[in-house]
Amino acid sequence: MPVRLLKRHFRLFLAGPILILLLATAVLANLLAPYDPLGIDAGNILQSPSSTHLLGTDELGRDILSRLIFGARVSLSVAAAAVVIASLLGVAVGILSSYAGGHIENLTMRSIDIFVCLPEIFVAIVVMAFMENSLRTLVLTIGLLYFPQFARVAYSVAASLKRKEYVVAAVSLGASPLHVIGRAILPNMASVIVVQISFTLSFAMLLEAGLSFLGLGLMPPAPSWGQMVGTLKDYLFTNAWPVVFPALALFLSIFAINTLGDWLQDHLNPEMPR
Amino acid sequence: MLMFLCRRLTAAAIMVAIASTLVFFLIHLLPGDPILLLLGEQGASNPEVVGRLRQKLNLDAPLPTQYVRWVGRIVRGDLGESFQTGLPVAQEVARRIPRSLELIVAGLVFAVAVGIPLGILGARRPNALAGWLSSAIAVVGFSSPSFVTGILLIIGFSLWLPLLPSSGYVPPLENPVQHLRHAILPSLTIGTNFMGVVTRMTRASVMDVLVKDFVRTARAKGLSDRLATYRHALPNSLIPVIAILGVRAGNLLGGMVIIEALFDWPGLSSLLVRACFDRDYLMIQGALLAIFVIFVLFSLLVDLCQGLIDPQLRHA
Repeated sequence: MPVRLLKRHFRLFLAGPILILLLATAVLANLLAPYDPLGIDAGNILQSPSSTHLLGTDELGRDILSRLIFGARVSLSVAAAAVVIASLLGVAVGILSSYAGGHIENLTMRSIDIFVCLPEIFVAIVVMAFMENSLRTLVLTIGLLYFPQFARVAYSVAASLKRKEYVVAAVSLGASPLHVIGRAILPNMASVIVVQISFTLSFAMLLEAGLSFLGLGLMPPAPSWGQMVGTLKDYLFTNAWPVVFPALALFLSIFAINTLGDWLQDHLNPEMPR
Repeated sequence: MLMFLCRRLTAAAIMVAIASTLVFFLIHLLPGDPILLLLGEQGASNPEVVGRLRQKLNLDAPLPTQYVRWVGRIVRGDLGESFQTGLPVAQEVARRIPRSLELIVAGLVFAVAVGIPLGILGARRPNALAGWLSSAIAVVGFSSPSFVTGILLIIGFSLWLPLLPSSGYVPPLENPVQHLRHAILPSLTIGTNFMGVVTRMTRASVMDVLVKDFVRTARAKGLSDRLATYRHALPNSLIPVIAILGVRAGNLLGGMVIIEALFDWPGLSSLLVRACFDRDYLMIQGALLAIFVIFVLFSLLVDLCQGLIDPQLRHA
């Protein structure tokens, strides 16, 4: 039995521990980090891993491990906040436009279609280059860029639910729109939205890392994995160790989130194609 | 088929028009004055100079007028001049399009050439070591962000085994061999990510088709397993694989931004990033326009391929 359970939920057992570790790191960053993530040490730059600096030091002598630990906080919170914005806004727009019907429905969904198609990173680059580089701008930009995907998913579910007998029955019995949305539409939409959230989380994390890599994300010295990779890659031929760790941290996180997303997809909406 | 082509072409043109309009207004509505950036604090204190430059750069008119002028010039193939260098934007953009396309095409070829066989392997032997390995490669390729793959490739092939250059660009006419050597690692980086997607999709899709009735019939009439898979199942299962290429086109182009920066490749994306840092409005618009056109043309190509393979889609 345990073996079968392990096999059936293989993805969960693979991703779960990584995600818990990641979350714990982000929450407990202050307790876990052995050094100050911003503490410069000119005498010890670009060190390989050693007993004093477990993962080595960066180009300013800052401890890589400590920066990675605080970077987890940045990566996760930016991605999570962006996904919250994207999902709330997207679900609201999707449901409302399916409710509004007629021209409003058409116009909204056509424009959403265009936004869904555009490669997000290009718009993000332009916006980030022109706005001040603050956490708020970054979160808002990423959140707004991913909201159309939620709107489309929410809309398609709402549009099909709208025609279901039990919804039609509730409406004809005099249920208010709020009641129908709260009792019939939202609960039935939850599983699809959860899957979408998990995939968007990994996209948002990647986008943040990509922008920071290009020097358009959070301003240094705030530690961000993407920015660490972007800076340390220039010292690859001096010492390749420092750049490997933030790169691996990113890979593991994205991998774990994607794997969890696959697991959710398989178990929450088995009938939906990937 | 002609109707289908016309419909898709019109949709593509509308898409480019809308996207570039949005970008135009987005850029102009965002804060940050290029005049101030070009002249510096001191230069910008002289109102006469500022006024002249504003006029020269066509920034003095109201926004809708600027937009109409911009569109009017695009129609004539003129994308304006760079604020920074004064050179025509169209020339710079045109010079960089083939460089970006080169990497994209090479990456795609790699992704398809490796991903489809791996996916078929995974579908035919889902429980064998080979099938498991194919899934593992797919997941790793799919999850690995392009800068991670790229850095690992640089460490592997230019640091540990000093076989290939880690970054830079050599024009093909100057030295074709060096040019190709510089292009290998960036193309592989793009390709690896895409290969993961292709493998995954091929595997799922071939597995779906292999249990269909017509494959069973093919086996029943005496075809070998191999022939039934390649002749009957494979063509039918490639339709969703091609579709996913279209869906992922945005990721492919988006990945270029990171890869061109990582490998110091002077393509369209690095032009865009530099132009953004310089507040070079016309250059940003020109580069984005080119990127959107490539994106839309790619989607169009995918649509057409699907239309060719699957006649039902032509009438949808």
